Amino acid sequence: MADDRQRSDLLAERVAAAGWTFVGVPEDLSPSDLSWDGPRSMGIDGGAYPWSGLTSNGGVRRSPPTTDGSGARMTASATSPVDDARSRTSGREPRGVVAAVFHAAAAEPDVALLVVEPDKAKEPIILWTNPRTSELLGVASSDLVGEPLAQFVKGPDGVSLSTMLRRERRMTTSGTARTAVGETVACRVSATPAPDGRLWTLQVHHAHSDLELALRASADAHEYRFKVLAERSPVPTMMSEQGMRLGHANDALCALLGVTADKLVGTGWLDHAHRDDLERITQTVVAVLAGQEREIQARFVDADRRIHYTDMRFTPLHTPGAGDGFMATLEDVTERRAFEEQLNFQATHDSLTGLPRRSKLWDHITAAMADPAAGLACMFLDLDNFKMVNDTLGHKAGDALLVEIAHRLTGSLRPGDLVARFGGDEFVVVCGTGSLDAALEVADRIMRVLSDPVVLDGVEIHPRGSIGVVLRGPDHHTADDLIRDCDIAMYQAKSRGKGRIMVLDEGARNAVRESLTLVSDLRQAIDERQITLCYQPIMRYEGSTPVLASVEALARWHHPERGPIPADVFVRLAEEHGLVHDLGELVLDRACEALAEWQHVLGPLAPPRMNVNLSALQMSDYLLVQTVKRTLRRRGLRPDQLCLEITESALMKDPDAASTILTQLREHGVQVAIDDFGTGYSSLAYLRKLPVNYLKVDRSFVAELQDGHTAVAMAVISLAHSLGIGVVAEGVETASQMQILESMDCSLLQGFGLSQPLDEPDFVDWCRSGCPVWEGDTS
Amino acid sequence: MTTVALDIDRMLDSLDRMASQRPVAARIVATINKESSGAAELAGVLGADVALAAKVMKLANSAYFGLSGKVTSLQFAVTVVGFNTVRSIATVALSGVDTANALPTGFWKTSMHLAAASGTLGQQFRVRTADAMCVGLLAQLGTALLHQADPQGYERVVLTTDLGAERFAAESCRYGLCGPQLTAEALQQWRFPADMVEALRAVQSGTEGALVRTAYELTARLVHPGHRYISLERLSGNRIAESQAVAKMAAIRADVQELRNALGL
Repeated sequence: MADDRQRSDLLAERVAAAGWTFVGVPEDLSPSDLSWDGPRSMGIDGGAYPWSGLTSNGGVRRSPPTTDGSGARMTASATSPVDDARSRTSGREPRGVVAAVFHAAAAEPDVALLVVEPDKAKEPIILWTNPRTSELLGVASSDLVGEPLAQFVKGPDGVSLSTMLRRERRMTTSGTARTAVGETVACRVSATPAPDGRLWTLQVHHAHSDLELALRASADAHEYRFKVLAERSPVPTMMSEQGMRLGHANDALCALLGVTADKLVGTGWLDHAHRDDLERITQTVVAVLAGQEREIQARFVDADRRIHYTDMRFTPLHTPGAGDGFMATLEDVTERRAFEEQLNFQATHDSLTGLPRRSKLWDHITAAMADPAAGLACMFLDLDNFKMVNDTLGHKAGDALLVEIAHRLTGSLRPGDLVARFGGDEFVVVCGTGSLDAALEVADRIMRVLSDPVVLDGVEIHPRGSIGVVLRGPDHHTADDLIRDCDIAMYQAKSRGKGRIMVLDEGARNAVRESLTLVSDLRQAIDERQITLCYQPIMRYEGSTPVLASVEALARWHHPERGPIPADVFVRLAEEHGLVHDLGELVLDRACEALAEWQHVLGPLAPPRMNVNLSALQMSDYLLVQTVKRTLRRRGLRPDQLCLEITESALMKDPDAASTILTQLREHGVQVAIDDFGTGYSSLAYLRKLPVNYLKVDRSFVAELQDGHTAVAMAVISLAHSLGIGVVAEGVETASQMQILESMDCSLLQGFGLSQPLDEPDFVDWCRSGCPVWEGDTS
Repeated sequence: MTTVALDIDRMLDSLDRMASQRPVAARIVATINKESSGAAELAGVLGADVALAAKVMKLANSAYFGLSGKVTSLQFAVTVVGFNTVRSIATVALSGVDTANALPTGFWKTSMHLAAASGTLGQQFRVRTADAMCVGLLAQLGTALLHQADPQGYERVVLTTDLGAERFAAESCRYGLCGPQLTAEALQQWRFPADMVEALRAVQSGTEGALVRTAYELTARLVHPGHRYISLERLSGNRIAESQAVAKMAAIRADVQELRNALGL
């Protein structure tokens, strides 16, 4: 207590010197309250205390001093607690309120308070401390009073705090406190001046309170976990705090781009974005900063200038009160993309020539046509006589030729043009021009480079091609339209002698379009077995009564919209468009089916044989023999009940192949007849070798008989007799023709004069009625 | 060196008086001080001062934030540059240093370098780039005040001392506190975030001041060729190594140009 008294006296002296009134211990405090070194050992006359109130910004607002000039007493300001106390406690002792406030402040457990007085020559001296100061420094209050401040508390870098004791205002700085055991504790020191500028109260906080330290440790741990997660993540990750400026780039991102993180943070990462993608990235970031999640594909260029294709996934990051940034992950899809591109290339490009396939061609044209004003020229190139190369030099040579042609075509194009392999020996060239002259220039160039010789297996080939050219017009709405028209033009070029360039002719286009439509309908008709047969009898005149010797099946197509289509029209279309095999098989099957049915329903009245026509193209079909055998077997017919007719001209197209096939058919027992004999250029030598059962005298020779021109018919009939084969006269229409033919010893007759071709029910009726023949017009 | 008694209160009061001449800037500072304030509200206030709004728009559209030409609304601009940046630009206007005729030699050059340097270094001190940039931008505000109060004396300090620790010491010796510390007092008065205030207050020592100390050193190296180097490891508490200096300085140089163009300072 003696120390207390001593200190109290010292403080009273100092306070008085400062112009304050030290009034001693408050009367309402009990003796026990005085047992510790604290503010409760003091009392301050509130009325004499020039109160300083904290301003809202933490600074000090001094009340206007209302000293009487001697500095002995001052009146409290309107904002002082004393004044407040007076006004609100109405009659209570204001100093009690002041003591309560002072007590609360002094007893603050987290703040060390020291009252100091500067000394001009020396360090500020400590006049008073609160219990927290003793806790902080580990020194009893009694040992602190009177000691230089610098011995316990210092400013930055160990400098004295004397410079921050500003009379004008409260000051705060970082500093250090030295404890009794020599430990240095980082702290924050605020110095609040007394109104007269002679004493200062220092508030010393731990630089960080326990709570702050705990919170910071927790935040640090949290951040560390996140940092480890982000940095060790194999997914390249970037984080922007504001705008496009990166605050963080993880290890995986650094590895992806081959640079260190400091090259990426800030706006450095933008240097690695592919310049063609930068705009899109920026626009995406703008959307993300506005709060949207986004995904884009973007390319980045690494330190070795390699391009990485990435899937970027953006998530907005909002920091309340700060601003908006984003987090983005990058998935390197370069390898996957390369694989996909390879697959896509394989899917869209021809493996032999490397040229785009049809699908790519379609895409290219469709894209070009997206602009209604864009000029477009399309060329269809078909190599002339390519089949000959394949047939004579083999497919390997044929393939080599196609590769060479593809190479030459590619070299003939202008930038932006496209050449695609359409199929087989067909190529399509697409040029981005609306000028016919420019298109023809390209076509001409193609023709020139095409004709340069190529040596295949030691044989020099001069390739030629036919090119059809079409310019995009108002009728072209799709890629199909354009390609179809240049295909038509190409066919025009072929039909006019090959090796030439043809620009699409409008009339021809319409004709071909119609033809193509008809082909499509024919294909459907064959598939749906809509091709029907009618039957024309072949009669044998040997006795008094003509006998049904055979019946010729004639194909008929009744188009649902166009009505009957002539056989020569649809057979030609079938031959031109690869339908002849299917058509021939259908006709053969239906004819055999009919004969089998007649045998069942007509018995002995049924015709003994069925004649079926073969197309010239079927004579090069080595499967024909198998087809015939299979059909006969399926319909339960004997081979000799079938007679296949082949025209003389068809036979002579490839006599060797025809001979092989016909021999096989004959060996099987099938009858063979040569149709329209006398109209072609048969080699008699071949004729002798061919396994033929019948010659059919062409109707033109029969027609001229009654005009006295009998020589040709006579010659054919004689030839047949000489070769020991049968002969049938076609187109017999009159009785006189019949008589002349009979006189020439031609007993097998066929024609309108005997019977018109009949549909199946009529033919059955005709057979049932005893095969009544009309004897023809006698004129 | 002669000690000069500064009436800091009067200096800060003078700032308050200037604030009344830039009411929008003052409102911006007040708006940001409210925790509930959002970009829309801030943009609304900012829109009333065309010059300030233009500066923020220009900065948001600068290469510094990487969004050149993409920021078309003031609200978006505020989110791009960050609230603290808006506040700092407003504070520069509020303090009048952007239009002051008498400033210490090389004031803006140093300030721009400090802003760029702090922004570049921020991440390594776990400070957001834009916040760090703001600390750097405003750090020299105190020196402008010292210069106003003691024009000739402060100019002598500038001319006779090396930027950084030496000058801080000289300022402390003459005025009782150094320029950044005076800035800290001003920023505290305007209720800037405590971290920013402490970063400036502890410029001479203490971990909180390491960012600004290091930024001053790199600025001095860039601005004053004769500057005596101080170890970056020591200044930064081993957060920045000397080996990084060249790359950092290159980045700072680039950013200085962008900031100068954007802020027109």
